[in-house]
Formats: sequence, C-alpha cells, structure tokens
Amino acid sequence: MSGPHFDPELNDVLQDPELLRLAGVLSQGQTPAPPLDDAFKSALRRQLMDMAWRSAEGKDSWWRLWLSPPRLSWIAAAAVVVMIASVVIYTAAQPPGGFNQVIIESPQQDQSSVALHQPILVSFNQPMDHPSTEKAVQITPATNVDYAWNGDAQLYIQPVSGDLAPNTQYQVTIGPGALTKNQQPLSTPTTITFVTTQSTPAPPSPSPTPRVTTSLLTNQQQLATIPSAASSSPVWSPDSTAIYYVGPGGALVSVPAKGGSAATLVATGASLPTIDPAGGLLAYVRAGKIEVLSLKAKTTDVIAPPFAPTALRWVGETLYFGTSEGVYSYKDTTVRRAGIQNDQAVNVISISPDGLFAVYQGASSLFLLDVAGGGNVQLGGSGAAGTFQAWSPNGQRLVYGNIIADLHGKTVSTLPDGEVAWSAQNVILLGSDTGIYSIRPDGTDLTKLADGTFHAPVWAPDSSTFVFVRGDALYDATAPTAKPQASATAQASAVVNAFMSARRDNEPDKARGYLDDSGKAAYGSGNLALIPSSDLQFKRFYILVVEVDPSSPNTVRAVVRMVFGKDKQEKSAIEETLILQRGQDTDPFLIDGATASAPRDLGKGPNVVSVKVTGSQLVVTFDSDLLPNSVGGVVLQDSTGAAVQVTPVYNDRELTFSGLQLTPGARYRLVVQPTVQDVGNRNPAAEYDLDFVGPAAEPASGGSAPPPAPSPSPLPTPTTVPGASPIPTPTPG
Amino acid sequence: MLELVTVFGGPPFEPAQAERPVSDPGRGEERELVERAKRDPREFGALYDRHFQQIYRFVYSRVREQTAAEDVTSEVFIKALKAIPRYQDTGRPFAAWLYQIAVNAIADRYRSLRPSQPLEDFHDLSVAGPALEEQAAQRDEIRRVWAIVEELPAQQRMALVLKFQEDMKIEDIAVAMGKTQGAVKLLIHRGVSRLREVAGALRPVD
Repeated sequence: MSGPHFDPELNDVLQDPELLRLAGVLSQGQTPAPPLDDAFKSALRRQLMDMAWRSAEGKDSWWRLWLSPPRLSWIAAAAVVVMIASVVIYTAAQPPGGFNQVIIESPQQDQSSVALHQPILVSFNQPMDHPSTEKAVQITPATNVDYAWNGDAQLYIQPVSGDLAPNTQYQVTIGPGALTKNQQPLSTPTTITFVTTQSTPAPPSPSPTPRVTTSLLTNQQQLATIPSAASSSPVWSPDSTAIYYVGPGGALVSVPAKGGSAATLVATGASLPTIDPAGGLLAYVRAGKIEVLSLKAKTTDVIAPPFAPTALRWVGETLYFGTSEGVYSYKDTTVRRAGIQNDQAVNVISISPDGLFAVYQGASSLFLLDVAGGGNVQLGGSGAAGTFQAWSPNGQRLVYGNIIADLHGKTVSTLPDGEVAWSAQNVILLGSDTGIYSIRPDGTDLTKLADGTFHAPVWAPDSSTFVFVRGDALYDATAPTAKPQASATAQASAVVNAFMSARRDNEPDKARGYLDDSGKAAYGSGNLALIPSSDLQFKRFYILVVEVDPSSPNTVRAVVRMVFGKDKQEKSAIEETLILQRGQDTDPFLIDGATASAPRDLGKGPNVVSVKVTGSQLVVTFDSDLLPNSVGGVVLQDSTGAAVQVTPVYNDRELTFSGLQLTPGARYRLVVQPTVQDVGNRNPAAEYDLDFVGPAAEPASGGSAPPPAPSPSPLPTPTTVPGASPIPTPTPG
Repeated sequence: MLELVTVFGGPPFEPAQAERPVSDPGRGEERELVERAKRDPREFGALYDRHFQQIYRFVYSRVREQTAAEDVTSEVFIKALKAIPRYQDTGRPFAAWLYQIAVNAIADRYRSLRPSQPLEDFHDLSVAGPALEEQAAQRDEIRRVWAIVEELPAQQRMALVLKFQEDMKIEDIAVAMGKTQGAVKLLIHRGVSRLREVAGALRPVD
C-alpha cells in the first residue's frame, strides 16, 4: 500500500507517519482530463486579444496606433465597409439619376462630452472642392482654425490654439457655398453640433460603485483562538506591536501582532480590557471591580467602584468608567462626572476618546450622554434599533448602526451596512460575513478589500494593520495604504455635480439630499427653483469656479453655470453661486446657501467658460478667439470697484493676469465689458461679471484650484468620440 | 458527521500527468513573457497559451461543470489581463498568481453554486502496483480519502487540492490563497489530521 510521502515540505509539516501515508494516498489521485471545447479556448483567446488591443489604444501615441499595420488594415476594411454600405443605402434611397445630394456627417455630431484635444472631423459622401468647402465653414463660437484634408472627402478642422474650448457647445455649419469636385453645390447647409468636456476629468461621484478586486489585504494570519461569544473587543498596544484580548474562560491574553506565542496575563474572569496611551497600564473588569495591571511592574491595583462597571476608557492618565447610573473618572480618587437620570435599567456602552461623552443603552434606544454637561440626546429616535459601533478618533463623531452622527445626535452621513472600525487616518473598515470594505467617513472611496468573513475589526493605532474575528479565531491583516483624501474643492465639486445632475434629470428628492436646512430654504417656495420650469430645457451645467473660503477650510464657494435651450440651440444661462459646508473634514459637504444671477442670453459674443484662481495668477478662458486689441475690456476689480493694475497677457483664448497679490478672503470681480470682441467681430450683449474671493496664500490639499483647468498640450491624444480620428498626414487644402 | 461514500467505477484511469508548470524550471523565459505582457497587453496571448490548460483543468476540478468552468476560466484570464500591468514579480511562478485569481473566482462562485457532479467521481488514479486486487483497494482508498477532502472546511480543502492535486509548493499555495506559508502549513496539517480522524477505519490491514 501507499508508503510514506517523500515531499520534504510535507515531511516537515506532517511528521507523523500516518499523516504522511495519507499524504501519499492523496498524491496518487489524479484528475482526469476535463471536457474541453476547443472553440471556447479559441474564442476566449480572441476576446482577450481584442481587449488587449483596445487597452493598448490608450497607451500608444495616436500616430503609431493609427499607422500600425493591423490598425491600418482594419481602418481600411472599415472604411471600405462604410463606403459600400453608404453607397448601397444611398443608391437605394435615390431616384434614378445618381448622386446629386451631398451628405455630411461627423462622429462628434450630438456628442455631449467631446474631449478637447482633437480636431473636428467632417465627412462627405463624395469628393469635395477644398477651397470652396473651407470657405463655406462657419464655426460658433468664433474660432481661428486650420484645415487639413484626408483625400477629398474628409475634412479636419483644427483650432489654431490647439484644443477645443472646454464646456462649450460648438456649431459647425457647412454652408451652401461648398462645392463638390464636380462643382455641384450643397442643397442645404448642414450643422454639426456638439459640446466639449471640462478640461480635467470630472471629480468622482460621491457614491462610487464598489470596485471588485481580488484581496488587497496582505500579511493575513491567524493569531489565536478566542471564544466565539467574546463580547470584549481586542485592544492594541499604542505602538501597534501587540494585541490584548479576552480568551477562553475570561483569560486576558497578549499576543504579538506579527504572530507568535500568546502570553496569559490574567487567568480567568477578565473583561473590557483597555490600555492607557503610554502603553504601561492595562485596566479591565474582574468580579465587578476594576483591576489596573502595570505591565512593567507586574503589579495590580484594584478599584472598587460604587456600581459594576460596564465600560472603561483611558483618557491620558485618567481612567473613565461607566456604570448603570453614571460615568466616573479615576486618577487618585473616584469622581463621578455625570449621572444618568433613569427609572429603568440602563447600561453605559462606551466612553468617547476624550471622556467628554458616553453612549448608553436605554430601555428602547441608545442615548448620547454629555459627561461634562449632564444632558443627553436620543440617538435615532424613539424605538430606533441601533448598535453602537465606534467613535471617530477625535471624539467628535460616533457611529451607531450605519449612521455617523455628531455630538448633538444629528446624522452626518450614512454608511453601507457592516461592522465598523475607524482609523486614526480616517479610514473606516466595514466587516461582514462575506467581505470587508474600506470607505471614507463622508461615504467616498468605497473599496472592497477582500472576500471572506471579517467580524469585529479593530484598527491598530498605526492605521495599517487591523485585527478581526473569523470563526473562533483572531486574525490580523494589513490593509493597503489609503489614497490621500480628495481636496476640499474636489469633494465639493463632486457634490455640486451630483446635485446639479439630479436637478437636470428632474429628480428633486435626490437633489434635496444634497441640501442642509438653510440650503432647503434657499430652494424653498418663493426662492430658487430646484427644478427650473420654463419653456427652455435645462440642458447642461458646468462649474466655472470653485474655491475654499480662506478663513474656513470647511466652507467652499462654487459658481455653476446652468445652460438652457431648446432642441440643439442653447439660448440662455443662469449662474448659481453655491455655498457648501461641512462640520469637519471627514463629513460630506452639503449645500448651505445659493443665489442666482439673472438669465443671460447666449450666442452673442464671447463667453467665459473657465476661471482658474491662485494667489498670484488669474487665468480666464473664453469659448472663442478674441481680437487681441479688444482684451483691454477684461478688467479685474477689487472689493471697492477699483481696477487691479495688472496688464493681462492674451494667448489662445486664455487671458492671464500674472503677478497678482490677491488678499485671501477679499472680494474680487472679473468684468468682461461689451467692448471685448471675438474674431467673428461679435461683442457680448451686456457686461458680464464674475465674483470670486482671494484664495489662501498657499493652496494645499483643500486649496482653491478649480477643476476646469485648460492646459493645451502640443501633442494630440487619441479621441474619445467613437469614430473620430486625429488628423492623418494632411494634404494641402 | 461526514458521510463516507464508496463509489467504484469512475472515469477511465489515466497516467499521472507529468505537466506541472507551477514548478516549471523555465522561469527566465516566463519572466520575459510576463515583462513583455506588462509593457504591452497584446503580448498576453503567449501567457494565455502557456497556462490555459492548467487553469482550466484546475477550475473544472472545482466546479465540475463545463459551462461553469468556462465562465470561471474566462473570468480568471480577463481579470489577469486587466491586472497584468500591476503584476509584481515576487520570485514566485506566474501561475501562482493565476491560481490566486482562480481560487477567488471559484470561492465567489461556490457561494451560490454547489458542484453538481458527485465529488467522489472526480479523483481518478494511476497506480503502479503489482496485484490487481491491491490496485483496486488503493483506488478505493484514494476515492474515499478525496471524498472526505471535499467535505473539509473550504480553506483546508483548497490547501489540500493545491498541494496534492496541483502539486504546488507551499510558498506558491500561500500566494494563491493570500495567506502566509505558516497558515498554509497549518491548513494542510489540520486537513490531513482531519482525514486521519474521519478515515481512521480506512487504514488498510497489512
């Protein structure tokens, strides 16, 4: 029969002869060849290669990609197919007599977020006369362009400035003056309409979809077995090197975080362990009393509280404990800090990190007790079921159920369900039977870390490692480094985008979710309309400027342009100035106030489409090319209305005021006077004003850089519009 | 209690497969293929050709149903293709990484799908024994033992499958299961020990 197994690895692992024999038996089982469909294997390979090619498109430079042989052949094949199809369809649709109508198409037609770095592509169904066609092109907004042809049937219109203007609706009309090679004129003019994107990618939605990944956890290991019904959370040493937990029989045990032998500190009956910030004193409850174990001196002090303690917390060198009738502190003597007025059984569950608040379980719901003031508030309303989960490290927020609340018991944000651990770096773990996620307290950056069972997670003080319970064992694992929290402007922009999208999409309830009480009043009856009602349709919006209040890092001001129109025509715009606020930097922003400008007609001269403000520079981007000698009509004023004496530099639709010394927090106004003229010789119908405040001197994370930041690059990038292509080797027009 | 099932007459016997690419000595060549695929995902095809059979066979052995095996195998290679730019060579075979993706994909599927084919039918054997009676007895024991393996807790079962069916090194199993080597050793030890407990009566009489 099977002899011992000779795999050296297994000899080391199993050792016992019978186990090795069984290993030998296992090794002899062989899986038969599974049924395999060769067509599946080939199809999967094709699918992978197709994905790889599409993925590689984003990496290669456009010219290499388009001129590579396979691509070129595909383009040629596709072009042939399109041409044949066009001819067939066109011929079928035509009366006898042949081709007498010029058909004009563009891949950008009706697109709503066309990338900036690409030409406008116009395709004709027959060869065109270059000079007359170019002369027949009209572009709104007025833009200086170059022309290039790919053969005689594809015209590339490239702005001289390099890029298309951001946040802009373009209308490119091929007028009847365009002639075919056979000198046949267009029967009717054709207009191609599209809208460009912001110059930078839109900020992430405030509620991203969880990414499904393989495990992002490392160094996952089992540390010890623990009772499955353990009610006391494990405790980390302040230096994150050891964990103290209550083991079988109430033994208080320590185990190194990197794994190794467990050491029993107290044999039986311990619960609620907590360690002081210096890491030398371990307090716990035993037989209704509090014992304080000095880890260095190996001595134990016993405190006999007036009532059985139900929660312990070190705050500096002071030990706080909660009982059924109040919260006490102990340093040299026991002092009662706050009593609980009750006529029913209550139970203090947890004391805040600063000892100033405590959560207790009342008859039917949780209460938050102000230890200093003695008052309390109910959490979640009468009868609301909720389990206390965690405090924020600064003690200013608490989590019960899936709700993050402030110290007034007011809901700040809502998390997905899960067992919560809140790290010093403000990353929240959500453990469950089926997996573990991380999320920011404001609800952003939801990331699946791993599948599996993760109960009762507890972060180490270093915010990289955490312990959790799986089955009857205590494990630890290392979480990936959290990406830096998005800047205040990025977070606020995400809220503005979500709010505006809901309004545009006629979802008032969803939009209202981004408003606080005064924000709701601003959009209440008689004030601003949450869902604009007019003959014109709310078609799109974009953020013109977003900046942090230099005196209040948790207040952001955003100016949003809302564009209204009918069919493809954009008729007018309103600018709303939104004030967004949050209580602290882990909270989500809410819109606290809003004002709106009067409607302004569009299509009458140049428009400002982006403003970038720093302490020393203001960059204003227009949608059209300006006559350089008219840009003196763009003025920067201070709060008194006096012009800031800086001469701006104009280049490629951008007007740059440099060398500014803007005062943080001071009011400024950008004024575009009606004297400003675009290259189509059109002027704004009226003066346009845009107010902003001087940003903080050194914008850092949470600083005041607005998201629209045009940055023309000399090299073209692949297009994002299906079918649109950069200019191939041009032929003279 | 576990139910021990004795099943005679499974698929035809096959010789043990010599192909064990996890321990493939041609690491230099593989590393070069991986580096090329990292630079240009269009090079991934060579890695696919090299590892498809092995991953498909492993996946099939776990899900026991051709359509499901195809779905999971597709998922494994699509995920691998997407993640290859972030793949970091830790000195372990590339296949260990593919196994890791496969193990997770199978775990996802197992949550909603139990194998449909009787488990004990699956492990065949090749025995170079002298007497037919002895061979039959060995086959019987192998099937019984593997049937018990299939009833072990998921982690122990996966560790034993990767070790004894896929013939992987412990450090590669650690990669595939996202565990430390110590944890894998513990799983193997516990798994085999559990086999001994349950299958104590299976010890042949000498």
